Amino acid sequence: MELRQASSVSDLNGGTPLHGGTEVVPLIKAGILRPHELVDIRAVVPRGIVGTRIGAGTSLAELEASERVPEALREACRLAASPQLRNMGSLGGNLLQATRCWYWRLDWPCRLHGGDECFAREGEHREHAIFANGFCASAHPSDLAASLLALDARVITSKRELSLAELYRLPTEDDRSTTTLADGELILHVDVPQPEASTYLKAMERKRWAFPIVGVAAARTGGATRVALSGVAPIPWLLDGSLDDATPLPRNAYKLEIARALVERATTALAPG
Amino acid sequence: MARLIRTEKEVEGRYEEVWLVVEEDALEQWPAGARSIVGRPATRIDGLERARGEAVFTADVKLPGMLHAAVLRSPHAHARVARIDLARALASPGVYAAIGPSDIPQLAEECGFQGEAVAAVCADTYAQAVAAVAEIEVEWAQLEVLLDADEAIKRGEQHGEPRVQARGDYERGLADADVVVEGEFRTQVVLHNSMETHQAVVQWIGETLEVYISTQYIWGIRDEVAKGIGLPPDKVRVVCHYMGGGFGAKNGADDYTFIAIELAKRTHRPVRCALTRREENLATGNRNATIQRLTIGAKSDGTLTALGGEYVNAVGWSGWTAPTEGPMQLLYACPNVKTTTWGAKINQPPMKAFRAPGFVEGTFGVESLLNELAAKLGVDPLELRRKNYAHSDPADERPFSGKSLMECYRRAEPHWERRHEVRARSTGRVKRGVGMASQIWYGGGGPPGYAWIRVSSDGRATVVTAMQDIGTGTKTAMAQIAAEELGVPLEHITVSLGDSARGPYAAISAGSSTTPSMGPAVRAAAADAKRQILEIAAQRYHLEERVLDLRDGKVVSADGNLSSSLEEVLGLLEDAQILGKGARGPNPTGMQVLTFGVQVAEVAVDVDTGEIWVERVAAVHDVGRVINPLGASSQIEGGIIQGIGHTLSEERLSDPKTGRILTTSLDAYKLPTFADVPEIVSELIDEPDSHLTNLGSKGLGEPPIVPTAAAIANAIRDATGANVRQLPISREEMLRALREAEARARDKEKRGAPAGV
Amino acid sequence: MPRISVNGHEHEVHAEVGQSLADTLRDDLGLTGTKIACNEGHCGACTVLVDGIPTLSCITLVHAADGAKVTTIEGLRDHPMIQAFVSADALQCGFCTPGQIVSAVSLVAENAEPSSEEIRHAMSGNLCRCGAYPKIEEAIRTWRG
Repeated sequence: MELRQASSVSDLNGGTPLHGGTEVVPLIKAGILRPHELVDIRAVVPRGIVGTRIGAGTSLAELEASERVPEALREACRLAASPQLRNMGSLGGNLLQATRCWYWRLDWPCRLHGGDECFAREGEHREHAIFANGFCASAHPSDLAASLLALDARVITSKRELSLAELYRLPTEDDRSTTTLADGELILHVDVPQPEASTYLKAMERKRWAFPIVGVAAARTGGATRVALSGVAPIPWLLDGSLDDATPLPRNAYKLEIARALVERATTALAPG
Repeated sequence: MARLIRTEKEVEGRYEEVWLVVEEDALEQWPAGARSIVGRPATRIDGLERARGEAVFTADVKLPGMLHAAVLRSPHAHARVARIDLARALASPGVYAAIGPSDIPQLAEECGFQGEAVAAVCADTYAQAVAAVAEIEVEWAQLEVLLDADEAIKRGEQHGEPRVQARGDYERGLADADVVVEGEFRTQVVLHNSMETHQAVVQWIGETLEVYISTQYIWGIRDEVAKGIGLPPDKVRVVCHYMGGGFGAKNGADDYTFIAIELAKRTHRPVRCALTRREENLATGNRNATIQRLTIGAKSDGTLTALGGEYVNAVGWSGWTAPTEGPMQLLYACPNVKTTTWGAKINQPPMKAFRAPGFVEGTFGVESLLNELAAKLGVDPLELRRKNYAHSDPADERPFSGKSLMECYRRAEPHWERRHEVRARSTGRVKRGVGMASQIWYGGGGPPGYAWIRVSSDGRATVVTAMQDIGTGTKTAMAQIAAEELGVPLEHITVSLGDSARGPYAAISAGSSTTPSMGPAVRAAAADAKRQILEIAAQRYHLEERVLDLRDGKVVSADGNLSSSLEEVLGLLEDAQILGKGARGPNPTGMQVLTFGVQVAEVAVDVDTGEIWVERVAAVHDVGRVINPLGASSQIEGGIIQGIGHTLSEERLSDPKTGRILTTSLDAYKLPTFADVPEIVSELIDEPDSHLTNLGSKGLGEPPIVPTAAAIANAIRDATGANVRQLPISREEMLRALREAEARARDKEKRGAPAGV
Repeated sequence: MPRISVNGHEHEVHAEVGQSLADTLRDDLGLTGTKIACNEGHCGACTVLVDGIPTLSCITLVHAADGAKVTTIEGLRDHPMIQAFVSADALQCGFCTPGQIVSAVSLVAENAEPSSEEIRHAMSGNLCRCGAYPKIEEAIRTWRG
């Protein structure tokens, strides 16, 4: 394995980008990632907040401390991971993190790893998806992604501009990836419009340093409220229909009950007047 | 004069009769209450080196030429090695030796759980060893996997015979009851997760084997290793100066020690074998899951008439059947009790003792159901417990050596009274309540246990014993006891422990036994030294020995005419030393030695999301004389916090089909964090157990974790009316219990009955 | 070869890419005060300051720390937080303690008198299996003596 500094945002050349390392390094240690080359992108990915534009290299700790970012994003950062991980981890890396599905993390030959079985569906799935879980029941763990989805953020990459929703895709038989990012494409900025009001509520198994059982982000803009959830689907989940559309598995229907309560609370909290 | 006696020895609730040579244990106990050093708060005498990172743990031991071992562990829950070839591993870069199932008994051919050790290699670096393990060629013959504990019992796959304990006439007691409550309680598998993983570094020096190991029992490792490889025990030296947590999982030598020994033998090099966190959470033991089917019968005034329990311990592939029935048997003066306890042999990693094994799980069951009874009877839960108070061992009428549980209840009253105010702070969606539970457990320690003490001519003393301080602060407690007896300042005492070659036999640090086992020996050694010092002083100052005493570092005479510093008295000795020795005497015969307590928990429950906040826990325990109130409060806090993890967030999960473990890393297995800790208030009765040793002290390592889960579950019932039946009380379990309670309330309303809790 | 400054001393590190900062500190530099308990970034025992910021050294590649100023527990031996931990009995087995102290030192550098809530938030990435948390909180509240 080699490590080199990126000279520009288009300088990956098949290498694996490394920023805070909080996801990449443990995955290398676990043998799930086996890169031939790591490319340190910290010098070329923007960091900091300018107006509504956030550099993808901004750490979660910096976002947590900033009074300029919408409440939903700030709260999502405050409740994400651990203090040290928030110091190290970047916004861009957080959006691209993989599921915490234990089967995937333990490298079982599951569908996300290219196999032909979802072990969680028939197995231990209490932390897993209640939406879009037919092919793969993994749950997306990013608190930030749910909040940015509710905030209708836009993503600027080294190649294009897209909505946050367009950054993600559900894994399919033909393509097991959960993002639409092309090889060598880097997230550079996230544009986060200022909403009238926003919030992020998170249910977790301990008071800090846990991934969401269910996270609910809501943002009100122009009188309309967008709601998005973390921990409930293989990708951050925009609630554009009803929670009744959920398809919980035998051992995770409780997540739906929590989601109902938190969605109601979040939308009530944002109700004007 | 040495006496040969036959005595009963108890560790973790398991008794055996042993022969014992004891010295006269003639010392009177000190009067109750704080002495000049014992009973007063002391900071750890080894605190600074631990805080500065200077303490050398086993993890930090680096010997010249040391090789690193890595272990191939079974990926399957049940499989046999059909073929294994170590050749490619041996040929891997940096590798010195490789061993497999035919080489040592700790490497298995038939593996009964995922994580069982199969083969091992050692290499210059750990990375090379890991790479070489990946080169081992194995063909597995997979075998049927049995995971369901009830099914295992049905099939007769058990560890030993079921343990049946009965007194009185259980069926008659049930028939006599006005009210009967029943419930099935389940507890989960919990992982010890000591911060320092299991590990050993071994080296052969001539015919002697040195073992540096993270252990709770230096002397036990010495004997186990000696026996295992056929060496005289004194040819095995075991060293553990600082130890990064054990909680019951580090009582034995285990596979890694014997792997390191064999590899060191083959390579003539020191070898380290250290488990990774993930191996730790597979192969080093756990608190096993239990199923508890319980019945309580009582008269309408709350008098218990029958207690019945069927306990299934899901022991795993190996281990023992912990006393899950203990609390039901021992807590209350019920005449009719019948319990049966099975140990299921299933294809899951082995259980090991974990901080009050059995009693933590069993207390959750019986103390929860008791509160369901109280609710049904409309009796105050604390009154219910007082009403059924056991004044002697309810199983065999033996007197307790000391029991101040009633006093614990009395001192818990102010905390219990807070329930009215706490409940009143409930809102529509956040309900608050208070719950309590009693604690019973062993903790008397026992013989043998020896200590030496040497006093130098500068008046400073060193306690020497081959015990270990696993983080509980026992090193400091021993220093306090020695300082108290010798009448010297605490800072004049050094304690040398952690090395089997540098001190006499010392007891295991398990079963809350270190202080009650070793403290009396240390006091006896100090008293022996003191006697010699006074003899010397008597000769030197031409006084009668009986008028002399040691106080505040001085030899003083009763009439006050002599007051000479110890340094002055002993100064003429120059390099000569005073050597004292002491032994632990036997426990009182015919008496039951137990620890007691009560905890009161305050919780808030979000009835929509199932979120639980433990807001306050008050603990009152009776462990006899307290040596160090500061360290004792830390033990109580630590036990309660582990109890909170056990109650709310910790659970080892395995795949229901294959039995492979899913929560081996600390993101998936959720230990309590700083933010999960409630306000904790603790109090100790601090009354010496007048029948127990020259100290009257019992152990405190385990008692505080025993009642926490039940107290929290009972607080949840108080807040919401929900009967939680399962640990951990996850969101799923909390919401299930809440909906069940709502249905019960609706049902009662329909039938016109008042909707009580 | 990466160069790192550890507790004020410059070091050139000879290691393969993939080696963690924690392994470099412990195995190459002999600074074993930094502990490894999970080795995958979950427990906080390996916390060191990298350019003043609490960082998990077990998942920091030493090559990615090129040019960094690293402070370990050995570099904090005279910090009053050490004595505060001893005085409050804020440690039991002591294995997580160096990491706890590094996080605590960083917290009080930003905020000399943190509230209980701030302490619990800032320290939640340092797991202590012995459960010394209440005493750690006391140590942080009384660190100036």
